[in-house]
Amino acid sequence: MRIDTTKCIGCGKCVQYCMLKCIKKSGTGKTCVIDEEECVDCGVCKRAQVCPADAIFMPDECFEYPRAIRMQFSDPGVQHPNLKAWGRGTEEAKTNDVTGKFSRGEYGLLLEFGRPCTGTRLTEVEKVTVAMSALKIPIIKDNPLYGLLKEDGSGRFKEEFVHEKVLSAILELNMKEDELETIMKTLMPILDTVDTVVSVGLVTRFAEDGSLPVADKLNNMGFTVRPNAKINVGLGRPLMD
Amino acid sequence: MSHSLHRYGTEEDLKNDFCMYARCAKGVNRDHPGEKLKKILDIYQSVHFVNFGSSHAGRSYINGLDIEEYRKSLDHSYGIIINFSEREAVKNVLARLKEEDLGISIVVSGLIDEVRSICSEVGLKPHTATLSLGIFGKKEKLPDDHVIKLITMCGHSLIGAPLVENCCEKVRKGTMTAEEAADVIARPCTCGIFNVVRCAELIRKQPAE
Repeated sequence: MRIDTTKCIGCGKCVQYCMLKCIKKSGTGKTCVIDEEECVDCGVCKRAQVCPADAIFMPDECFEYPRAIRMQFSDPGVQHPNLKAWGRGTEEAKTNDVTGKFSRGEYGLLLEFGRPCTGTRLTEVEKVTVAMSALKIPIIKDNPLYGLLKEDGSGRFKEEFVHEKVLSAILELNMKEDELETIMKTLMPILDTVDTVVSVGLVTRFAEDGSLPVADKLNNMGFTVRPNAKINVGLGRPLMD
Repeated sequence: MSHSLHRYGTEEDLKNDFCMYARCAKGVNRDHPGEKLKKILDIYQSVHFVNFGSSHAGRSYINGLDIEEYRKSLDHSYGIIINFSEREAVKNVLARLKEEDLGISIVVSGLIDEVRSICSEVGLKPHTATLSLGIFGKKEKLPDDHVIKLITMCGHSLIGAPLVENCCEKVRKGTMTAEEAADVIARPCTCGIFNVVRCAELIRKQPAE
């Protein structure tokens, strides 16, 4: 995003809408400017419609690669072109009752880098993708991050994308139940080193009796399972058991 | 997306906060689901709801989304999401969806025990859960707990601490009501899962400083 400083009157009404605090008063104090290196092109400042001079706009270069991935990952109204999907671009467990993406005996791990409201460079995501590739843990393909990875199995992102910044990106991993402890032991020290925050989710099937046995397992490993969750209630058809 | 998963709060202040997402699956039922999604929208709207929205239109119901335009857009969509603040509304909608048997996947976000109990009451067997283990990494970048409760109600992370802090300050000074503040804070959330009822309640209970 950019502010046309020939139009901007420096009222500052847009400043509070930037969750990444990229909009500041210029040196003279007469206009506002966007730090375009830190901006993720989410478009919130423009959509807020608070600029009395209509000075906020998306410059053409934001639509060109590699920069274009910023808006694809940050503005939920922009599609990920390879997946024809909006938002962060993944069905994860929302449709698991008909896709069977996560079967009994497996877990899914959803690592949302940059959320809430800190943003992330792909360099931070790469710290985990490299480690998981070394463990031979599959990174789910039906996810917009997958297409940005090198094809050599190293878990590294293509050079042109790795320094790009996005509002948030979800890394999805699939594992066997008995791999959970090893993966979490590898993952947690890495998350201590990333220069962003990571919201962590775990996908699991309900047991036949309606319980969630993984909750006890996670508690024993020192994790606190939050009381709220996302629950696929099994109304999709044909139902995958 | 983790979207409605990581809503932060206590059991007490999360108990009246439910998101429901109908989502078509690629390769299964995502081709031309418009009529089914419109039916789901009708069912959603038959009970008291808080908010819904459209990322494609760039605005939510409480921010002036044109419902008729939105209905038409469902011909080219693959999902529809809504926020409720009442358990009974969720129960009624799930009962209707079960009866209609549209075959579209439905995800409910809320307190695990509450959602499980509602499912039991309407005869549904929950299939898959996505559990939240919380936030890790450089947590010193985060604002305080009160602000996190509000910003995590936007599933795409579009609502930031500066907007929340400014609005909360205006409420403290008496220049804005909690409800007005909730409406302003909700504006950047285009998909409409931001719960303005819970937001206003949390603002009324905000710390003095």
